[in-house]
Amino acid sequence: MKKITSFFTLLCCLLAISSCRYDNFDEPQSVLTGKVVYEGEPICVRAGGAEFALYQDGYALHNSIPVYINQDGTYSAVLFDGEYKLVRMGNAPWERPTNDTILVEVHGNTVQDIPVTPYFIIKNASFTKNGSKVTAKFTVQKVSSSATLDDVRIYLGETLITDNNTNRTSVSLGNNIQLDQEITADIDIPESLASEDYFFARVGVKSGQASEYCYTQSTKIE
Amino acid sequence: MKSNSIKLFVIGTALVSVLSGCGDSWFERDPKNILTNEQVWNDPNMVKSQLANLYNRITSLHGDFNTGGMCEIDDAMWSGALDQNGKNNFQYGNDYGRLWDYGLIRDINMSLENLETYGTDLTAEEKTLFKAEFRFIRAYIYFDMVRRMGGVPLITTTLEYDFSGDPSYLQHPRAKEHEIYDFVYSECEDVKNDLKANNGSQTRANYYTALALESRAMLYAGSIAKYNALYTPTLVTDGGEVGIPASMATDYYQKSLAASKEIITQGGYDLYNKQSNKGVNFYQLFMDKEKNPEIIWAKDYKNPTKVHSFGYDNVIQHLKEDNDNSSCIAPSLGLVEAYDYLDGTSGKLKYMDENNNYIVFDNPADLFANKDPRLYGTIIYPGTQFRGSDVDIQAGVAVWNSETNSYDLLNGPALGSTYTDGKTYVGQDGPQDGAQNVSNTGFYIRKYISEEVGFTLRNYEENWWPWFRLGEIYLNAAEASFELGDQDPGALYYINKLRERAGFPANSLTSLTMEKIQNERRVEMAFEDQRYFDLKRWRIADKIWNGDEGTETGNSTAVVYGLYPYRIAVAKPGTNDQDKYIFVKHRSSRFILARMFRMSNYYSSIADDVINNNPLIVKNPLQ
Repeated sequence: MKKITSFFTLLCCLLAISSCRYDNFDEPQSVLTGKVVYEGEPICVRAGGAEFALYQDGYALHNSIPVYINQDGTYSAVLFDGEYKLVRMGNAPWERPTNDTILVEVHGNTVQDIPVTPYFIIKNASFTKNGSKVTAKFTVQKVSSSATLDDVRIYLGETLITDNNTNRTSVSLGNNIQLDQEITADIDIPESLASEDYFFARVGVKSGQASEYCYTQSTKIE
Repeated sequence: MKSNSIKLFVIGTALVSVLSGCGDSWFERDPKNILTNEQVWNDPNMVKSQLANLYNRITSLHGDFNTGGMCEIDDAMWSGALDQNGKNNFQYGNDYGRLWDYGLIRDINMSLENLETYGTDLTAEEKTLFKAEFRFIRAYIYFDMVRRMGGVPLITTTLEYDFSGDPSYLQHPRAKEHEIYDFVYSECEDVKNDLKANNGSQTRANYYTALALESRAMLYAGSIAKYNALYTPTLVTDGGEVGIPASMATDYYQKSLAASKEIITQGGYDLYNKQSNKGVNFYQLFMDKEKNPEIIWAKDYKNPTKVHSFGYDNVIQHLKEDNDNSSCIAPSLGLVEAYDYLDGTSGKLKYMDENNNYIVFDNPADLFANKDPRLYGTIIYPGTQFRGSDVDIQAGVAVWNSETNSYDLLNGPALGSTYTDGKTYVGQDGPQDGAQNVSNTGFYIRKYISEEVGFTLRNYEENWWPWFRLGEIYLNAAEASFELGDQDPGALYYINKLRERAGFPANSLTSLTMEKIQNERRVEMAFEDQRYFDLKRWRIADKIWNGDEGTETGNSTAVVYGLYPYRIAVAKPGTNDQDKYIFVKHRSSRFILARMFRMSNYYSSIADDVINNNPLIVKNPLQ
């Protein structure tokens, strides 16, 4: 009798231990990183504004993994090794490609830049501080032929994350802007930033086709 | 021991065989806890209770007294518990407003089919009426789905799996967006005559309820057809699941106008006008359930069996009757300013003069004098009364500072506190920046809040939720007339009638623009679950809620601002301003993120599992 009891106890223990293995697999280790690029240059966005979605085929659940894009155009996702489909979602300052799926093979740490066609981009941006103002110089270029210009805006903010939703002040230059020519515009430094050691400046351009702006890199102004 | 068991078994077996031999009736009994289909569908009262179940499940985004939701999509911010401050700090997700309720659609379809199959004892009239009501409810649900999702699969029968191993025949593609609107219209046309038996009822669908749904749904379809052209090709799908061709706009507007005209001229409804005080009149329009001539269709509540807690959630802080909530909805300054002055001038409040100096008021109510009385009926502002008591709205005191040559604004530590001069420091109703359960904007909601004693306790309120009322039909008629250029009797006629009821003189407007119509809808229909859908169908939601934080003095349409009254405790020398009042525009520190409505929010995203289960489903444009 005792033998039988101990045998069953042992069997239960074994079952318990071995069944753990089924649930206990290692967490994903491979990191997929990259940038959103147009002609090799990263496209900067509002942090958390634009989005990709990753899908992996071959499993019963086919739900998307959202991938958010950082303000400087980089993104990253920690994944299991395998083949993924990357989809460029709408709501971004770039065209929705007709064939929007990019196959990404993830093996260990993988780098994959994602090409996009923005509606407008801003080139050669520079900022200089003159007393109580910041002077911005930049050129607006149209990339997508069908795009219409909606707004060009200069922002000042206290952190690297400065955009249309997060800023201390902004000034709109409207949509009557000469394309492909250098534009010079001033923005007043608000009281709340004047006393700071440094702050950040950025220019954004928005097309009538999207709700998001396409930005320059946040530039530190000391 | 053993022989006893055997004996017992034998006796038992014998008994059972004897009893079962007694006839079929003893063992065959109707279950006591299950109603059979035959019982349900042959008893008019049972069918009515099934109808009541479905009427109760009518969907809405943030209607039907959804306090929190109104703070996200209407002209207000959340001033309730701090742990829900996410309502002031969020972005409309891609799935915001998603509605894909095929469980409800199936229940309605099943009701229709079972009524047909089992309902043999009902009279023909009963059967016709019940069927028409089920179909009306189904049409309303499809309308609610299409305005949020675009075209959805049109399912009008129950779908059953045959266990053959291949469920693909159950997969249905999305209908075109206009096909769903057409379905809503044709269903209403089909059933409206059958619903005539309900005429006079304000809670069950009748002939005019069906017309009211036509009036609203066709207006939506018309404006989407017209204004989505601005967003082509961004907001269309190749198959027409999203986007209505612009060429269809006129037809839809005409259908809407025809329905509105019939309700207005022949419906026997009237704009509510029982009270001589127009502000009180507009308030009573929502509270009065006795022969209310304006309400076409409402969801009724009756204490103690069916109650809500909207009053408990939102009653003004110092007049609350329960021990916890209050003041959750804090209406915005933008809404207050949207109400015109009675002389027809723009409603922008004049609390600063041309040189940006404060204007001084003897009494806080003076600032709001001669405003559209609907402001009184909708919002509690400084200097008014509620439940017979004066409200006590004061943010603090202003003290003249001779060094800076301006007023210092002092906010006291506690509600109802006293300043060193022995007079009020902070009013019992705030506003108080950052506090919970006290307004953060300086305004409270009056609409739907009962002034009866005891009816702002939790789970006690019994005022009803109006789904359709004649005021909206006037606005629908005005908008459709305006879009069509219809002159019989024309948009101005309808708008002016509505404004006359509100308290304006007759023919107060002599010309109209679309912006004026939009503003009229904003003020008349505030907190009626309309604003979000109106902004959407006019395709201006992304312009109004553009995420712009605005400057510190405040001019963004995406930010909920407040207006704080201060009592002058130490006046500027040489003036006579002691104990008078100034007003300061203020953005509450609780309102974190300007509202941002993105293109993808025009049509909510479809859930991954829906697409997984049905590969025929086309995604929405920006999904």
